[in-house]
Amino acid sequence: MTTTEGKRATYKQRYEEADDGLRFQELTYTGNFVGMEPVTDGIKGDKMLRARARSSVLERVSKDDVLRDEFTIDELNDLNNYLAWNIWDVLVMRATEGVSGMIPRQEYEILAFMHEFYRWPEILRMTTEEVGGGQGIMDIGATARREIGTKVNAVHDWCIGAVGFGMGRCGLLALEAIGPDDYVGESNEILKFMQRVLWGKRQDGYILNSQDRYRCRIHEPDFLTQLTSQIEPLEPGSPRHAAFTQFNAAAELLSFLDHYDCRLGLGDTGPYELPDGNLLILRDLFVNEEVFHWSDVCADAGLPHCYTLALVIDPERMSLAEIRVNDISTTFTRPKNYIEAIVGGAVFARERWNTPMGEVYPIKIDELAGPLGRVQTATLKLYAKTSKMCRRDLIWNGQYVYYIDMILPHLRLAGTYDKACRDYDLWEIDQRVANYYYEITKRGFAQEVVPSKIFSGAGYLPFSEKASLRSSKGRWL
Amino acid sequence: MAEVLAEGYNVFDTGKSPTGTVKYLSAPADVIELIQSGRLGEHILLVQGGTTTFLAPALSMGAIGVITMSGAPESHLGILSREFQTPCIMTAHLTGSDSRYVVGATGPGHFDEIAKALDGRKVRLDCSDHEVGRVLADD
Repeated sequence: MTTTEGKRATYKQRYEEADDGLRFQELTYTGNFVGMEPVTDGIKGDKMLRARARSSVLERVSKDDVLRDEFTIDELNDLNNYLAWNIWDVLVMRATEGVSGMIPRQEYEILAFMHEFYRWPEILRMTTEEVGGGQGIMDIGATARREIGTKVNAVHDWCIGAVGFGMGRCGLLALEAIGPDDYVGESNEILKFMQRVLWGKRQDGYILNSQDRYRCRIHEPDFLTQLTSQIEPLEPGSPRHAAFTQFNAAAELLSFLDHYDCRLGLGDTGPYELPDGNLLILRDLFVNEEVFHWSDVCADAGLPHCYTLALVIDPERMSLAEIRVNDISTTFTRPKNYIEAIVGGAVFARERWNTPMGEVYPIKIDELAGPLGRVQTATLKLYAKTSKMCRRDLIWNGQYVYYIDMILPHLRLAGTYDKACRDYDLWEIDQRVANYYYEITKRGFAQEVVPSKIFSGAGYLPFSEKASLRSSKGRWL
Repeated sequence: MAEVLAEGYNVFDTGKSPTGTVKYLSAPADVIELIQSGRLGEHILLVQGGTTTFLAPALSMGAIGVITMSGAPESHLGILSREFQTPCIMTAHLTGSDSRYVVGATGPGHFDEIAKALDGRKVRLDCSDHEVGRVLADD
């Protein structure tokens, strides 16, 4: 390490109640709090949002709270404000990335946001009914506590509410397709589903990692022990360290590419403190999602559904000051470079999404050359394939990645995916959204409005005091 | 001290300081052609966007350094360059120009100016600072 010699790790201070955490960015958030002190990122931002809430929905909530049929208007507004801040917190800097040159992401994103807001509510309602009510959805969340290679993870669960409700509603408000008091019932449906999955997964009363100082420690201790028993020590700078980190990077890259440059292919949990004081991050990298037709190149390369990496980080080696596993399942640290502080690792493969945990197998680090070659082969083939697609195909494929994949894991476990396809035309494009395809490129909507309204948090209008919990959209005028 | 041609966000601090000739890549065909040329390791790659997919094969096959004209360490390309330990400077601007990237409000002239100034130059990346990455002349 070149810049941290002689410093001690201070990251544990971040978990002291009075601590406000570090600032990862200079920007501040306003959202619906115009005229009030600007909100920061990180732990302090979480505290500020909770202090401004009108209900207790952002504190630890009970099982009975979660099983209640619907949120009040105050609770809906508190969740809307919190999610808008959380979106800003994790995405405002990412959203500076501009054009892809490969995949028109802003375009597919905005279409998916709106499609989800329109179409998900009836599918999520059906799924809740099929599993016997709210407890069934909480049980789906709880499966993640004893699994790796599962897409019931932070980013997918967060997306249900943050993207399907938050960004979808925000996009439609910006397009002036809906008003602030439309679709209240549907909003409730989406947010209740999100809350139940996340509560069932975390089981500490919180639903989001940001409420727990950016920790996602969901796995049961005895399950973790099975995984950590496979960890091999790694000496930074050694060939085996390079083999492990190279595989991590290459598989992560393919997971991004297979999911059209989005975070749905990646899922971190942790940090878990190990007995020797080191930190464990578990990372799922979904390199072959079978529902995407372009994943055929991944299947042809012989890749499993998911590789899971156990990364052991020595906090003293990097003088760790803060570690965040944020709500889109990504790990960020200060100092930023944690790769050189990896001192142990293990790799596991899950062949299919429903392969039993007993059949998930480890891959020795000395044997990673074969899997790495297959990952690189699939990456090159998928890149060549993608580069030949026309713009329309790229946009609608990307739209499907969001609209389908964000709820796919929950529908799969509920056993309602086939029903959603058959009876609810899940893979069809709603006519309203189909028409928006031609609107989003006008007046720079996708390139300008999306970053300025959705990722800045400026467009998440509250429900008014007059809003009815029964309200859908009664008129198109 | 070598001339600082451009500055931007340093994605991660590293002692690595790669040198190479800047190669501006504007389309996927450019990326594929560079990979097939076998000369990937001679170039610092310059791209407009901060997304991952555009540079995917170049990252996977061992790019030595990257400069982008938009994006931040939290962008997907930033995350992946950290994972690959490929030094990367994002939202680079020319030190000799007042033009700056603003999300959703930056015309092609900004990007053209940077590409024209850096493409073909031999440079070295200095990524030792926590926050600022520098593109140094190495002609």
